[in-house]
Amino acid sequence: MPELLTVLVYGLVQAAVLLLVALGFSVTFGLSGIPNFSHGGVYILSGFVCWFSLRKLGWPYPLAVAASVAVAATVGLLVYAAVIRPVRRLVLAEVIATFAVGVAMLELFRWMGLVTYEFNLPAVVAGSVALGDVVVDAHRLVVVASAAGLGLALWWFGRATRTGLALRAMAQEEYTALSLGIREDRMAALSVVLGSALAAVAAVLVLPLGLISINLGYDAMLVALAVTVTGGTERTAGLVLAALLLGLSTVVAGVLIGPHWSEVVYLAAIVAVLAVRPSGILGRLKELEERV
Amino acid sequence: MVFYENALALNEVSVQLNPAEVVGVFGSNGAGKTTLLNTVAGLTLVYARREARRGGVRVTVAGQVRLEGQDVTAWDVPERVRRGLVLCRERHAVFRDLTVSENLRLGGYLRSRAEVEESVAFACELMPPLRRLWRKPAGMLSGGEQQMVAIGMALAARPRWLLLDEPLLGLSPALQAEIVRVVGEIRRHGVAVLVAEQYARAVLPVVDRGYVVESGALVLSGTRSELASQAEVQAAYFGGSWASPRTHP
Ligand SMILES: Nc1ncnc2c1ncn2[C@@H]1O[C@H](COP(=O)(O)OP(=O)(O)OP(=O)(O)O)[C@@H](O)[C@H]1O
Ligand SMILES: [Mg+2]
Repeated sequence: MPELLTVLVYGLVQAAVLLLVALGFSVTFGLSGIPNFSHGGVYILSGFVCWFSLRKLGWPYPLAVAASVAVAATVGLLVYAAVIRPVRRLVLAEVIATFAVGVAMLELFRWMGLVTYEFNLPAVVAGSVALGDVVVDAHRLVVVASAAGLGLALWWFGRATRTGLALRAMAQEEYTALSLGIREDRMAALSVVLGSALAAVAAVLVLPLGLISINLGYDAMLVALAVTVTGGTERTAGLVLAALLLGLSTVVAGVLIGPHWSEVVYLAAIVAVLAVRPSGILGRLKELEERV
Repeated sequence: MVFYENALALNEVSVQLNPAEVVGVFGSNGAGKTTLLNTVAGLTLVYARREARRGGVRVTVAGQVRLEGQDVTAWDVPERVRRGLVLCRERHAVFRDLTVSENLRLGGYLRSRAEVEESVAFACELMPPLRRLWRKPAGMLSGGEQQMVAIGMALAARPRWLLLDEPLLGLSPALQAEIVRVVGEIRRHGVAVLVAEQYARAVLPVVDRGYVVESGALVLSGTRSELASQAEVQAAYFGGSWASPRTHP
């Protein structure tokens, strides 16, 4: 049985990974109610764009990252305009249409043969750090710091910028927001673009932990769903707590039972939360009940 | 005319609002006041389009909205707001998780930063409690305070024509008087106000003219004094209900 500290450190890293991977999906869903399941496809696409810019075009790292964020944002806009907008507000159609796009992207990559061992991304910083008895590579700490930083940046964006406020307003009181002249279509598009850009940020931070593989795209969709359902979309704190819970549980499950149990943990969390607290662990169940 | 599925919400109702005038629209629950204001503001069109897409309520909108003689019926909401036609929705329509200052800032979403600063300062001068509540989430405020935020938001949009939907709803008589004073001040600054209320009495001192709608139809209109004298006769609209203003849950 490994040290408690090891479990805690790796649980924290895992939590940061889950938060990063889920953030884009959650933000889009929380702001406009769009369940954008092309998320997993965009996530892997961003990884390949970064890889291609670095390895084939020889671009410097920051430029490669910027390219992958830009491509993801553009793809997000296209997905919104071509796929989501025509079926907007028909929730089931939104799920099916975006999921189809995600699957199409991933299977296209598979068909193109992008499945070999050469597809890896570099760590942001090399080397490793000793935390007491536990040795962690520096990149994992960058992942944790980035997850925290990104959470704070989003919090700031939602409060300090006019667009951020308008997005939150739209999510809270749609018709009042509309009555102030906020355009629904623009806000919905923006929420998808923002979510897709966040998927790219997650990709360049998380994918260096292993190889870029198609299946990680499907994993990303499952993780996004698990964290979002568990955390609810009303508060960032809910997402953070959900990521921590799921991160620690998967690490503990991996240690106690075996390494292939994480998917079971995600699915169990989804089912349990939907059964007990449909608005998420920090959701305002009371308000939900009042509305019913 | 507005038709919801098979309920006629407004039929042949025509109202006019002149510059710097306060006009009342009175009528009981379901009379069509909100429908009228939403239609003028352009929200009914949004609702109609959205329901059509979902295959929900069938909404038919007919008739005309004119601003200074110009037909703006087909304009969308942002265009109307930019032109100065601003709606303050019923039931203290504020963003509950946003602070008072964030709410007010959002009110001026389509205006420049300088314009918003100026109009928010004006709103705070009219309604001093807003400054004190500045950092509180709007959802934590009392009904009266929320109404001030809602009106402040509308003012931040720099209206020339302000549509107020039941601003007195659920407020104590003292707060009602305060809001009525604010409406008077807004008019004094050159803004025309169309105010919908169930009970005419509380706002009567500040209105110049008024309309009474019942089941989507215009049943009465006139100046304040005409309405006041009618009021003695028409207890249904003005009299019996004075003592028991409606509150909502
Ligand atoms: N979204 C809607 N779908 C279907 N019918 C509606 C809708 N909104 C209003 N109606 C109907 O239109 C009529 C007018 O409603 P409206 O809300 O305009 O009345 P109101 O005068 O504002 O009432 P209140 O004093 O309760 O606010 C009512 O009969 C109502 O049932
Ligand atoms: Mg109404």
